[in-house]
Amino acid sequence: MTNFKSNWWKWLGVVLLLYTIVFGFQIPINAGILNVPTTKVKTGENANLKIECYNTHFSEAEDVRVYLMTDDNKLLTSSQLNIVDDNKLNAVVEIPNNLDVPQDGTTKLTAIVTNEIDGFIHQSDAVIVSKGPNSNSYKTFFTDLSILHQTDDFRFPFRPILYETIRNTFFHVAIWMAMFLLLIVSCGYSIAYLRTKNYKYDHWSASITTIAIVFGIAGLLTGMMWANYTWGTPWTNDIKLNMTAISLMVYLGYWILRSSIKDVDSRARLAAIFNLFAFVNLMILVMVIPRFTDSLHPGNGGNPAFGSEDLDNTLRAIFYPAIIGYFLIGLWMSQLSFRFRLIEEKIALSQEY
Amino acid sequence: MGLFWILFLFTALNIINQSFSFHAQRRKLFHYNLYDPLDLITAKLLINFIKLLIAGVILIGLQILFSSMPLLDPILFFKGFILAALGIALVFTLISSISTISQNQNTLTAILAIPLLIPVLLISMRVSLISERMIVDTAVDNYFLILGGINIVLLALTLIFFPLTWKS
Repeated sequence: MTNFKSNWWKWLGVVLLLYTIVFGFQIPINAGILNVPTTKVKTGENANLKIECYNTHFSEAEDVRVYLMTDDNKLLTSSQLNIVDDNKLNAVVEIPNNLDVPQDGTTKLTAIVTNEIDGFIHQSDAVIVSKGPNSNSYKTFFTDLSILHQTDDFRFPFRPILYETIRNTFFHVAIWMAMFLLLIVSCGYSIAYLRTKNYKYDHWSASITTIAIVFGIAGLLTGMMWANYTWGTPWTNDIKLNMTAISLMVYLGYWILRSSIKDVDSRARLAAIFNLFAFVNLMILVMVIPRFTDSLHPGNGGNPAFGSEDLDNTLRAIFYPAIIGYFLIGLWMSQLSFRFRLIEEKIALSQEY
Repeated sequence: MGLFWILFLFTALNIINQSFSFHAQRRKLFHYNLYDPLDLITAKLLINFIKLLIAGVILIGLQILFSSMPLLDPILFFKGFILAALGIALVFTLISSISTISQNQNTLTAILAIPLLIPVLLISMRVSLISERMIVDTAVDNYFLILGGINIVLLALTLIFFPLTWKS
């Protein structure tokens, strides 16, 4: 029991990691529209919509409806609706003459599909309407948006291009964040070594840096898997990828430095100095430079990151525990590595004398 | 232009590596007794910086002579070049003072310092490309700000850490 009291953080790390893996894979993502071929019609004609959706339950749902919505939130209901299967439906919407269309221009309408299981899903610019000949087709618009279904289910957001790979946020991004936290701790130990000259801190710093490099490689690999599905290739010449490769090289240089110096005292001192230097360099490489050039990563070249757009509350509920979980597991791993180092040192000393 | 920066990088590597390498152990002791480490590193930095500037100017002259490198906007080019030379001098001086302890000093300096220099090199290469009108970019001042910022950070780190590497 005393063992458990002093090691609670290891258990917490395991629990958080299990929570991340189980819920990160189990919670479904929201329904969404995969594809609506854009149709061009004139007023007075019928718009035929073939809607392909993802994760929807049309055949189970009782109340499936299709609407077209204008920019000023007026809804046009469909006149015919044909459900093909769970994820496909065909609908016909009459475009009335009293729709506001400029004489020479077009109006873009948003397709909305709603049912009581999945809530409402939408895709903009599904129908482009231009002015047709005058006829007597008049229809009334719904202006009350509360006729759309809402669901409160706990689900991850649906994003075009990302789809199911949005779950990689809990692995790729969280591992990187944990790596940064570990490196900060390692720098703390380096400073502590330089102030006190206690070899214990040097061992801590070296083992945490090792584990952080392992995390960095893991983050790179998960990122490559993600890029393979979203960008089409595992490695692009994106600035952030190249900078990451360089900072990995810097940290491998840390290893070469450690192994090339025989004297224990100067090795510890110089490794601590180089560690701090490398961390500052990592910050410049990965955090500063990508912001000034174009990048595919969110947060760089004007892309948003970690705003409400990217990370909604359902993702946050898994993402933040995941960071803490990886961080604690990383500390545990580096504690094991630290103990291994101490034993190694003792053996070396006993052989010397 | 890429050729210039590659040549300059390796010239700098060889120039600065000498600043600590021909220190025999006795001379090091002599310096250690006589000078304050801060004075010593400032002097080393200054002399390395000046050496780099001279080497760079010679290199540019040779390149203009033999491979007809165009210098369309010399002022912009030299602004970027001076800032880059300062950054290179800072990183190489500190790293070579770190790697004097090991036996194969030249390799270690190259391995440790070149990745650290990549941000400085990337930005100054971009500035020099702009100065040659190879690319158009209106944010040149921004690059100077980043280069200056990196140099200030490097200078602070060098001044803080050199007294620590010196004590052995």
